[in-house]
Amino acid sequence: MTMNTNPLADMAFMRAFLDTVIPPGRDGRMPGAGTLGLEGGISTAVESDARSGSLVRAGLAALAEAAASTGEAGGFPALDPAHRAKVLDDVLAEHPMLVNAVARHLYLAYYQHPTVLVAIGEPARPPFPEGFTVEPTDPELLAKLVSRQK
Amino acid sequence: MANEPVGVLIIGAGASGAAFAWSIADTGASVLCLEQGPWMHQKDYPTNFMDWETRAMGPFATNPNVRGLAQDYPVNDSESPIQPLMFNAVGGSTILWAAHFPRFTPGDFRVKTDDGVADDWPISYETLEPFYAVNDRMMGVSGLAGDPAYPPHQPPLPPLPLGETGNIVARGFERLGWHWWPSDSAITSTEYNGRAPCINLGSCGSGCSQGAKASTDITYWPVAERKGVQLRTNCRVKEITVRPDGMADGVLYYDADGVLQEQKAEIVVLACNGIGTPRLLLNSKSTRYPDGLANSSGLVGKNLMHHPYALIRGIFDEPLHGRAGPGGCTFWSHQFYKTDPSHGFVRGYSYEGTRGMGPATTALWGMATGKVPWGEGHHVAFDRLNGHTAGMVGITEDLPDEANTVTLDPELTDSNGIPAPKVTYTLSENSRKQLAHAVERGTEALLAAGAIETYSEPLIKTAGWHLMGTARMGTDPKRSVVNEWGRAHDVKNLFIIDGSIFVTSAGVNPTSTIQALALYIADRIKQNMRNLFD
Ligand SMILES: Cc1cc2nc3c(=O)[nH]c(=O)nc-3n(C[C@H](O)[C@H](O)[C@H](O)COP(=O)(O)OP(=O)(O)OC[C@H]3O[C@@H](n4cnc5c(N)ncnc54)[C@H](O)[C@@H]3O)c2cc1C
Repeated sequence: MTMNTNPLADMAFMRAFLDTVIPPGRDGRMPGAGTLGLEGGISTAVESDARSGSLVRAGLAALAEAAASTGEAGGFPALDPAHRAKVLDDVLAEHPMLVNAVARHLYLAYYQHPTVLVAIGEPARPPFPEGFTVEPTDPELLAKLVSRQK
Repeated sequence: MANEPVGVLIIGAGASGAAFAWSIADTGASVLCLEQGPWMHQKDYPTNFMDWETRAMGPFATNPNVRGLAQDYPVNDSESPIQPLMFNAVGGSTILWAAHFPRFTPGDFRVKTDDGVADDWPISYETLEPFYAVNDRMMGVSGLAGDPAYPPHQPPLPPLPLGETGNIVARGFERLGWHWWPSDSAITSTEYNGRAPCINLGSCGSGCSQGAKASTDITYWPVAERKGVQLRTNCRVKEITVRPDGMADGVLYYDADGVLQEQKAEIVVLACNGIGTPRLLLNSKSTRYPDGLANSSGLVGKNLMHHPYALIRGIFDEPLHGRAGPGGCTFWSHQFYKTDPSHGFVRGYSYEGTRGMGPATTALWGMATGKVPWGEGHHVAFDRLNGHTAGMVGITEDLPDEANTVTLDPELTDSNGIPAPKVTYTLSENSRKQLAHAVERGTEALLAAGAIETYSEPLIKTAGWHLMGTARMGTDPKRSVVNEWGRAHDVKNLFIIDGSIFVTSAGVNPTSTIQALALYIADRIKQNMRNLFD
């Protein structure tokens, strides 16, 4: 990636960035956020986020630049995960809101993705129409209440 | 074509407007309700969709300034630490409400007598009791009879299950020997009047796709319409007009096409909530009423009360599955409800048990509180929270203060160009002390329940869901806007039936009392038909 491209439009860069914010789980249960095809939607959401769009663009540009300055020809996506995390951490000193501003969109997208829902033990469906079961009131508690009924 | 004059014109189709319409229809008078919002449809509510958590934060957000829908009006809340919340549609704010349904206690109506603060209400619990009961049946209330904190009453439906979230926190209250009781909830625990039982969708706050939660579009309105009440939607009232003799003449409103219409009526009834009602009265200026309608006392828009809320949440080792079930309906506690000199504040607060959150909301909360980092530690931290939280909110009694106001913003308007309200509110020292106490003692309860970590917010900013006091009730026209049955002192064919007329706020959610009042006022109008304007 060249320094003057918009990092939000560089999907390889975005995938690597999202995978750094939510990396794959060590035990393989949780997917990395960069592997779920979320990058396009996140870029669009950030672009149209009046509150923090420009802040994110500036932060991502700084991240791309910091990655390039490591000498790695492929830029941020080519760094190994630990190195990516280190570079991002350094960039946050100057752009402290970068991750949070993206995560406001990313966490919604990631934790409503069917693959992720299944991985955390939730059904991959909307709540309606099947709904959920809730445990009954503890009979011991209920008995105590009944003994106090006025 | 001119609109036919009607006998009774209600403005606002929310909790109070619906209950009143249903009752007043018994008179056989022509009854019309104008509502600025549309009918809602269960198929459109977020829980029908995979991205229900995103939708709940957008078009179904509780803050009208965030939603910004055509039927919403903006509220300038820049001078308030609490953001006013509401919904504008048939059903009003009950579309989004949590349906936690406590009544006021008898003592809540006589705070001046008991504690020497604020004012007594001109009516008592006993006055409202029969109307609470009717309303419980109409709304379909689930609960367990016999709570020692209340006079006896029998909810028509069995209580909702506490679930693990409620069980675990209730055990903490038990260990401390504190009062707690399963909450009365306006949610059907079994099939009731054609409504299906709750299936624990877990997102009551963005509309109930199942129709188990009692929003008045599915409780009162269908029956009211069958009784002949007309409901005209997408009609926003601009002002109440007056006759030369000072009585209300009807209203001017913008219809769905933005065309200004006139509607004449013999009686005008305001049900626009604690912000919408004073806004409309203040927008109804005339030569006869230069300070706004019904405002000779100068109290329209004054004494705004919320219930300042504290959040106390525990993280537990045990899996609690708290994203399922009605989030605000597990139990309540009146342990710290009454004045106790050792507390250091007057009056008190109740606790309302809360369940957990959806996965995305959990992650966002984890980020906001620094409990879920990005990167390497993300999944472990998320797993520790997700399905492992339970807690409560403390609902404090807000005392009336004339400096807390709803006024008209000099610049802000809604999409029809009608001046929008501005809220100016300062948290009192008494409320601050109550909130701190609620956090401290609530934390104690969660630790007793076995929480491994606790979190608290001493004042929830996004908790202005109870809007009260801005056109208060009383017998003295100099100290109140309406009399003891909701009739404006200054304008004898104008009635106010929503939370605006509250004298004090109590330390519990207001809607069962708002609706009982609306039914009581309708009843008084029916009783006094012959000499209504004397
Ligand atoms: C997220 C949320 C959670 C809540 N949870 C609870 C709870 O658990 N328990 C509880 O007791 N209460 C709860 N409440 C509060 C409860 O919803 C309100 O107390 C209740 O709905 C107020 O009834 P109302 O009739 O005064 O006003 P609303 O229900 O707000 O209805 C007012 C209606 O008037 C209409 N209107 C306003 N101005 C105009 C105009 N100029 N022209 C035409 N129409 C107009 C509005 O569109 C609206 O439909 C909650 C509220 C919210 C927002």
